[in-house]
Amino acid sequence: MQTTVLDRVEPVADGTVSLVLRGADGPLAPWEPGAHVDLALPNWLTRQYSLCGDPADRGSYRVAVRHDRLSRGGSEYIHLFLRTGRTMEVSLPRNNFPLLPAPEYLFVAGGIGITPMVSMLAAAVESGAVATLVYVGRSLVTMPFAGELRAAYGDRVRVYATEEHGRPDFAALAAALNPQALVYCCGPMSMLDAAEAVFPAQRLHIERFQPTVRQFAPNQPFEVHCVRSGKTVPVAAEESMLDALNHAGCRVSSGCREGVCGSCEITVVDGEPEHRDDIGAPPGRMYCCVSRALSGRLVVDL
Amino acid sequence: MTSNDTLMSARPRRVSYEEVRARIGEPEDMIRAKVHDRIDRHGHRFIAHSPFVAMATSDAHGLPDCSPRGDYPGFVKVLDERTLAIPDRPGNKLADSFRNLAENDGIGLMFVIPGMREVMRVNGHAYPTDEPDVLARMRTEGKDAQLAIVVEVVEAFFHCGRALIRSRLWDPASQALAAELPSAGEVAVDQMGLDVDPAVLENMLETAYRQLY
Ligand code: FES
Repeated sequence: MQTTVLDRVEPVADGTVSLVLRGADGPLAPWEPGAHVDLALPNWLTRQYSLCGDPADRGSYRVAVRHDRLSRGGSEYIHLFLRTGRTMEVSLPRNNFPLLPAPEYLFVAGGIGITPMVSMLAAAVESGAVATLVYVGRSLVTMPFAGELRAAYGDRVRVYATEEHGRPDFAALAAALNPQALVYCCGPMSMLDAAEAVFPAQRLHIERFQPTVRQFAPNQPFEVHCVRSGKTVPVAAEESMLDALNHAGCRVSSGCREGVCGSCEITVVDGEPEHRDDIGAPPGRMYCCVSRALSGRLVVDL
Repeated sequence: MTSNDTLMSARPRRVSYEEVRARIGEPEDMIRAKVHDRIDRHGHRFIAHSPFVAMATSDAHGLPDCSPRGDYPGFVKVLDERTLAIPDRPGNKLADSFRNLAENDGIGLMFVIPGMREVMRVNGHAYPTDEPDVLARMRTEGKDAQLAIVVEVVEAFFHCGRALIRSRLWDPASQALAAELPSAGEVAVDQMGLDVDPAVLENMLETAYRQLY
């Protein structure tokens, strides 16, 4: 965790504020475009937000938060109760949405899904690649950064306010896509589904805020052996591996606890995990807040 | 075992309401003026920071019941200035409250914030709901609340801090009181006349406590 001070809260669109968090003890950890951080709120909730400031600014982080109508206490708290000047703990940046090298990029953002794209588009343009941003929102006033992005990148930014112009034609975008191009998409579930339906899977990168709804086989109990501490921890059917490890004193940090943020990543030494996350664990890793085991025993590096 | 009963020869004397008023007077106007008919922004802020609420309901005959509800701060949602929603979590033993509310929709709430001397009180009428938009706001660790209690606010007010000051509730030294009590397992073994090691019950309780959602 890094200690920051909340310097500014300012509206950036109807229903969206941006927070500027200044490092309290010198420069903050560096980050790459697409990265996000966990923000520990005073009401004990931890929320993930993409960094939307300038990676070159090591003195502060910037995030943007939309007030969700169905807020469970994160965005509502930030909008109504968070006070500037207060100290806030922020995690090290993590990147589940890194910008891979390509000659051409198509960025597709829906609503608050614009946040990771701000720095990604800048980096893509900087690299000299062909870059296009398709930015979809209900109406212009609800779309953060639309004006700034248009001003900075001109025609490379295509803004669709659906209340006036309807939705962009994804199929047409896919048909026109350079086969070498990479597509980055971040937005509401319906948009991600639409993107997955038209863009080739190996060219498409998606960032989710919410877990996908899926069915899993009923939970089975299993055991985890932690090589470093030598502990063997039983995981009951009705508890998560994350909880079991923490209760046994094997500390694993967590953020979303829904398999979307990546904070609870651990290294698997032996055994076969049953991956239930939405990030896509790299080989030898797993997200223990949701994932379980196919083998009766896992050996992990804890 | 000795009990207090042996120390008391008769029921304590009953004092009429007229007599009570004669001794302590009417509630002062100033105190009455603090009662609002809605949750203002100060009330909203208070509820958004409260991890604990005592909830009183009563049955058709007026027999009251007061039970604790707790979760992360702000777990009780302010849907609008006249409406609150309280999540039902497994193992909360809400059944009693639901049965009471079916017979008598009156509800009394007392919100507490650790470290804060004042408490917030809300009284009103309540009913259960399964409205998806309400339950979605209460999702914790990927699990929706099963039901929620909707509270229609009739009165809301801050209650002064004297009781909490006198009780030294937030004084860390007060925590030593808990060490003077037998464990929940020992009490259960005694109350139910069980022939088991209290540690076994303690363990079962700890295991049950691990699964909070
Ligand atoms: S805690 Fe977010 S992925 Fe596990």
